[in-house]
Amino acid sequence: MFDIEVLLPDLWSILGAVPVTLAMALAIFVFSTIIGSLFAMIEYRRIPVLREFVVAYKVAFKGVPMVIVIFLAYYGLPPALQFLASLIGVEFNGHATPNWVTLIVALTACVAAFQAEVVKGALNSFDTGQADAAYSLGYKRSQLFRRVMLPQVIVAAIPDLANSFMVIMKALSLGFAIEVVDIFAQSQLTAALNFYYLEAFVIAVVIYMVIAYTVTHIADRMEATLRVRT
Amino acid sequence: MDLSKMIPELLSALPLTLAITFTAIIVGFCLALIATTFRVRRVPVISQLADLYVSYARSVPVVLQLFVAFYGLPLLVGLFGVEDFLSPTVAAMMGLSLYHGGYLSEVMRPAYLAVDRGQHDAADSLGYTFRQKLTRVLSPQAVHIALPGYGNSIIYLIHNVALVMYIGAADVMATAHLVMERDYNQYQFETYLVLAVIYALLCLIAWLVVRFFELRSSKFAPKAAPAKTTIMASF
Repeated sequence: MFDIEVLLPDLWSILGAVPVTLAMALAIFVFSTIIGSLFAMIEYRRIPVLREFVVAYKVAFKGVPMVIVIFLAYYGLPPALQFLASLIGVEFNGHATPNWVTLIVALTACVAAFQAEVVKGALNSFDTGQADAAYSLGYKRSQLFRRVMLPQVIVAAIPDLANSFMVIMKALSLGFAIEVVDIFAQSQLTAALNFYYLEAFVIAVVIYMVIAYTVTHIADRMEATLRVRT
Repeated sequence: MDLSKMIPELLSALPLTLAITFTAIIVGFCLALIATTFRVRRVPVISQLADLYVSYARSVPVVLQLFVAFYGLPLLVGLFGVEDFLSPTVAAMMGLSLYHGGYLSEVMRPAYLAVDRGQHDAADSLGYTFRQKLTRVLSPQAVHIALPGYGNSIIYLIHNVALVMYIGAADVMATAHLVMERDYNQYQFETYLVLAVIYALLCLIAWLVVRFFELRSSKFAPKAAPAKTTIMASF
């Protein structure tokens, strides 16, 4: 029933999808962190109208499952793009948008809501006494941010950021619904060729766990090196 | 598109979704209790197995876990010589229970450890057994710490129940696909919007329930710190 011999060829076949998955995860991670940081700054600085918008955005994207967001983007994004392009008078076929672009946009939108929370938590862990000290030394606001806040906030956020990278890796597996081939989809395709489903999925499980272990390990090392000894 | 006809049809599949959710909540809670007990007590081999189980539940995509349950459980059941009784629904329930249990264990363990170290020592020095210590001293305090995380894990579970469609359980998502196909796929975007609203409402209800308990349990908090009131507690 459980065939050991197919494990090795399956492993090679599935490993082929790892670089693509990591690249997509990295792209989503960077975009969502930028957007999430913007959201967190808006909440931290308490900018009037934008703040309500951010709260509404977070409620919407946390309450809705990612599969549904992905499907909504799949059916809604191309027409929307085409409409926007036609507004500025550009001829653009929105339906030619590759599926992986749709997936990246959808997941970035979802994960940005979580990243905003991560960055906000890190900002809140910042000791305001240090801000007072910096101001009393005549620091400007931008200097305070760059020289005092940023180095500490980044270190405080590392564990959560590593966690959200794994969330992204896991969320990418939903891409098979719109025909984007990542590790999980590749294991399905491999299994469909030789009908050894369980074997292929076990390989995928092992690959995901190894990646998770590596990511947490790297994050721990980075945190240990960056943290200022006190 | 006729909303008044579509929504009742989608809601007719809601009982199955809810059944899977509640099974996963209950079984997952028991699994999490067992796993957490082994992880905090450090029994030689079993603790490592529990660690492995938790990292499996947390680092592997839920779709993949569902597929592993769907294809793996019949094999496991066959080993014990029981006839294969696993329908997609049962496989979905078991797969999600395993996922939820592992996830919840990682909520319970920090809560257990977050209770002030002195309380552990005090209970130990009074000669409490592990069970007495747990039920009389630690649980009331740990529950308060764990509730926000528990609410998150329930919301995550509701999100992931939307995935059971892929192993063939006839939940709300699967019904929505049937509805769409009957209309020759004209109204896909609109149907998914309706689905989004349904799931958002489910999450909102779950969040309100957990928040109710959160406010009630705050009397067990060491200081009278008000329960966190972030909107939909941070994930």
